[in-house]
Amino acid sequence: MLEKILPDEIYNVLENKVNFNSINEIRIREDKPIVLLIGCQRTFLSNYGTTSNLKDAIIASKIMIEDIIFRASECSIYSVNEQIKKGFLVTKGGIRIGIGGDLIEENGKIKTMTNFSSINIRIPHEIKNCSLSAFDYLVNENNVYNTLILSPPGAGKTTFLRDFICQLSERNYAYNVLVLDERGELDIGRKGCLGNFTDKISFAKKTIGFENGIRSLSPNIIVTDELGQEEDIDAVNYAINCGVTVFASIHCESIESLLKKPNFEKIIKNKLFERYVLLSARNGPGTLEGIYNENFSRVRI
Amino acid sequence: MKYIFLVLLVCMTSFIGYIFSKKYKIRANFFESLLYLCQKFDIEINFSRERLKNIFLNLDEKNKINLKGIDKNFISYINGETTLEKDNLFKGINFLKDDEKDLIFTFFKSLGRSDVDSQSKEIKNFQARFDGISNQVNSENKKYGKLFLKLGIIAGLLLVVIFI
Repeated sequence: MLEKILPDEIYNVLENKVNFNSINEIRIREDKPIVLLIGCQRTFLSNYGTTSNLKDAIIASKIMIEDIIFRASECSIYSVNEQIKKGFLVTKGGIRIGIGGDLIEENGKIKTMTNFSSINIRIPHEIKNCSLSAFDYLVNENNVYNTLILSPPGAGKTTFLRDFICQLSERNYAYNVLVLDERGELDIGRKGCLGNFTDKISFAKKTIGFENGIRSLSPNIIVTDELGQEEDIDAVNYAINCGVTVFASIHCESIESLLKKPNFEKIIKNKLFERYVLLSARNGPGTLEGIYNENFSRVRI
Repeated sequence: MKYIFLVLLVCMTSFIGYIFSKKYKIRANFFESLLYLCQKFDIEINFSRERLKNIFLNLDEKNKINLKGIDKNFISYINGETTLEKDNLFKGINFLKDDEKDLIFTFFKSLGRSDVDSQSKEIKNFQARFDGISNQVNSENKKYGKLFLKLGIIAGLLLVVIFI
């Protein structure tokens, strides 16, 4: 998909001179050097590959940024305007592009974003079996535990969720799984990547997705990415009260910082989640730091 | 032998007349389909936020034929195979006037570049202008299209009279 989005001069360098699979992020800012995040290292992109020398770096232009966004929308900005209003857009292959620019407001509501000045292309990586080391602690004989995955940005939450769904299917756990893919990142478009027992609702707010999904698709498990708002917590509460298992993730660096989050008091007090999985990027994205139970006692590592 | 030659002569002049009249018919059909395309865009964009490529691909066969490849040329641009330039968009199209090409090119250039409301307004604006051209082209087709066909037949008959 990237070959359809990026200008030829950038794509050719990435393909021929840089190990494509190692790139996590490409940051393109107006009149600034293009920055790659490879593993945990930041480096500039030059015509000859990567460089630490600013002089050799490729400098991005405004036209380049606008063109990438237009191409990523498949030449149909109107079709992704709701995403652009939230500051990102997701391409068909699950590549998430964060966008910086000027927000246009009308009658107190955000109408669109213009004057794009920077983009952050996050390249999804499928890491097969990355959830396996935690799998047995999250599944018992009859059920899957209500689980919350915690990690800082870019440490592999989404990859973990995706692989867990796949593992359930591959091990013939015939649960009806509903994927609430609010940002379109969980389904990267590869055939079978979400397993054989999975339904999907994309680009809907969590509150709507949980309510409609439970009513219409009667899932056993709901998988969703990046809880944050209070209404998300209410939606999780609603689902668990309906007897549906919730498997979710949240931006969070440690158990301590989760306990400090004001929106999560209800979850912690009512012990809605039975398992907490802490990930980090210490040894590369997806490093398993620990698995905790509802009382925050370690059950592994 | 002489009569066969005369019949062939009438057929030939009629065919030449038909060729001239066909140009008007092609133009009329083209603008009719362009108007249909505008309506389809407006509906699909407002209702399902359908992407441009799919709208073009889902166009019915009759309208695709009438558009004389402009849809395919635009899809090539969407696919990144060509750039959006006049020469690329109007490749194989020689029945449009320069000012018509300018207007259609501006229309295609505006597609997909704004939010639903703005895009819808823009499409309606172009639709009104295409409608004006379509009416004019239709009346030209009625007037000159049949005229050239008749002229072809009459010219053939005149030649027959002269030869006899």
